[in-house]
Amino acid sequence: MSGVMGKVLWVDLDNHQFREETIPEEVYRNYLSGMGLAAHLLYEHIPPGADPLGPENVLGFVSGLLTGTPSLFSGRWMAVGKSPLTGTWGDSNCGGYFSLAIKKCGYDGIFFTGQSEQPVYLLVDPGGPQLLNADDLWGSDTSATEQLLLERHGDQRKPGVICIGPAGEKQSLIAGISHDFGRMAARSGLGAVMGSKNLKAVVLAGAQPVPVADPQAMKALCQKPAKITRFRIPLSARMMILAGKLLRNPWFKLRWDGIAFSGVLRKWGTVGMNQTSIEWGDAPIKNWAGTHQDFPLDESKHISPDAIADLEDKKYHCLACPLGCGGKMRASSGSQPSHRPEYETTLAFSGLVLNNDYQLVIDVNDLLNRAGMDSISAGGTVAAAIEWYQDGLLTREDTGGLELTWGNRDAILALVEAMIARAGIGDILADGSKRAAERLKIADRQAAVAAGGSELAFHDSRLDPGFGLHAGVEPAPGRHTSGAFIYYILFRLWTRIKGLPKPPLISSKRQNFIPSEALIQRAVAISKFTNFYNALGICLFGIYIGVDRLPLFEWTNAAAGWSLQPEDYMTIGHRIQTLRQLFNIKQGIAPVDIKVSRRALGIPPQESGPNQGNQIDYPAMRRMYWEQIGWDPSSGVPTRDTLAALSLDDRVAGWEETHGL
Amino acid sequence: MAYKISENCRGCRACVRPCPTTAISGERHDVHIINPQRCIECGTCGRVCPYEAVLTPQGRLAQRVKKMDWLKPIINHKTCVSCGLCITICPVSCLAQEFHLEETAARGYPMLAQPNACIACAFCAEICPVEAITMRSREKQ
Repeated sequence: MSGVMGKVLWVDLDNHQFREETIPEEVYRNYLSGMGLAAHLLYEHIPPGADPLGPENVLGFVSGLLTGTPSLFSGRWMAVGKSPLTGTWGDSNCGGYFSLAIKKCGYDGIFFTGQSEQPVYLLVDPGGPQLLNADDLWGSDTSATEQLLLERHGDQRKPGVICIGPAGEKQSLIAGISHDFGRMAARSGLGAVMGSKNLKAVVLAGAQPVPVADPQAMKALCQKPAKITRFRIPLSARMMILAGKLLRNPWFKLRWDGIAFSGVLRKWGTVGMNQTSIEWGDAPIKNWAGTHQDFPLDESKHISPDAIADLEDKKYHCLACPLGCGGKMRASSGSQPSHRPEYETTLAFSGLVLNNDYQLVIDVNDLLNRAGMDSISAGGTVAAAIEWYQDGLLTREDTGGLELTWGNRDAILALVEAMIARAGIGDILADGSKRAAERLKIADRQAAVAAGGSELAFHDSRLDPGFGLHAGVEPAPGRHTSGAFIYYILFRLWTRIKGLPKPPLISSKRQNFIPSEALIQRAVAISKFTNFYNALGICLFGIYIGVDRLPLFEWTNAAAGWSLQPEDYMTIGHRIQTLRQLFNIKQGIAPVDIKVSRRALGIPPQESGPNQGNQIDYPAMRRMYWEQIGWDPSSGVPTRDTLAALSLDDRVAGWEETHGL
Repeated sequence: MAYKISENCRGCRACVRPCPTTAISGERHDVHIINPQRCIECGTCGRVCPYEAVLTPQGRLAQRVKKMDWLKPIINHKTCVSCGLCITICPVSCLAQEFHLEETAARGYPMLAQPNACIACAFCAEICPVEAITMRSREKQ
């Protein structure tokens, strides 16, 4: 078939052996590629109760079905495995150009089993796969490692390189995997899995093109989204602040058009939303306990999009992206240009910890990228530590003399360095806020703002309860990219999927807090669709322009030579989501045990600010979500009827009785 | 599918060096073979073979083309969306970015940085989603 390479590579790190597996077309028709193919394989290959940092865990890197075809926004790749941070299904999505590097080697995915005795890295070139000694790379940061490997293996063509840094080597549970000098597959702690396998890097230097059923049809479909994303909207930082203030109104929300977001991303990147989010109530302040009044415009002016743009050297695009939201700038500590901190990193180390020094954000971002550590989890953990210190739960003796007060830039920088080095208090914090609270014997967990043990990103569920709902019900908990009510508006699913409702142009903000069938119907649709586009290798930001303008269903048909309907693809998304849920259940995770922090749910509600009084009826929403997606409403376990409808019933044969199926 | 070498081959080795995936092997003066696992169907072997010994995957005789007449990619930056697919798919990395100053910072667009390294495979033009690349001979450029 077309659109995919039809094979995956298995690398046995115990015995340093390789095996190619041909994937039948039926598997692609049921699961597509990317996250779907990963779910299909990991579900079978990771045994129940596997230690995430042990040899039984499987670490995979997958491309997408649309990657390498004439399509746009199709350059995302994913790291997958059992997460050591949450114990659940783990995945981590990243851009750059590694996704096509996987396919150029003739594979849709590369999967590692076992553990190597010595540090190694994988090289795949037209001569085939090899495991090479990585003793000389062990201990190097991600930038130095990638530079050296590009020089060593880049004589014929530039290879795609991913690697871990010291954080992954030291198996920090919030370690990520770096690509393109600091783009991170950061979430789920999969850098620790790579470190546990003694796998320092993967270097892919293939040259195969991707077969496409109808390339001319695909190109014709690119015209519209290319035109829309090149359209320049006149925007200024002042307008962005004004937008935040207008959106703060307590009464109504708009069915706005994601083309506006697209314009913001093209001009400034994700940091275009910095001050808008703070003013609007989207960005949590002071570890989710404050409001915009604790970080007023006079403080946030240092992270205004225009101020950041002044420091930027270059824009850059990930593979297949016409938008180009990335930026390069120089950190004070590094001689090479470094990635401009994204929105999440900026807010983590500004508003969340009340720091108004943007240079600290740049420096911490560079440090974390070089160490290979997730800036969302690191930021959430630092904020929790500051709160514990301020509340007297951590002493100066505990911190090794650091004055962990709000906005203390030197202390924050020193703490991040200690976390990377696993030194002193840093050793405890390097595994995230949940485990830190456990080790420090802090009974009150409200400062560790997380879901399922994964720190939440910086979009307030007390403004959009969809963030809180999806953080708890998704098989990979605690993720802002897997769902929110606003995504339904931006993705415009009702324009292509039969039976989905079109939201009114103006509606009450309160409606998002009242659990209703109509509201949850949208959340379930977003879950199915998210699994679908993650199987294609598509970027979330591309879909902001809506599925009536970004022809994902038609591209997939033209790439693969199929003629499926959008509803068929939603069924595939549903199947992937349900199989990932089954993965968790097979691993002994009870979905009811995945908790979302009370603070993020508005328990108790905030007494002031844009989200004043907002509280999410999470149990009711979760129950309705489970029921609508076809999982048992009280346990979250997929029902037999659902498994039969999705042709998943044979996947649970032999263990269904013991897991409540 | 892969290119093949016929009995016409004299073992001159003209195709060995330019093959971007080192897929061709054989002793001098002997008939060479193409490893189908490595062949990416770029057609370079056929363009350089002086003895009409290379067959396309469809079994047709590949035509020799003088190197100075090889088609090269011409990139229309007005149509280009800077997506980088062409740069990444190029099997010999002969494309690179050149930066143009836009609204707030410089943005990269593809350029043929190493024209002599280009093997005229047209992978870049085939993958370009917005048809910004055309393959042209030197005299038409």
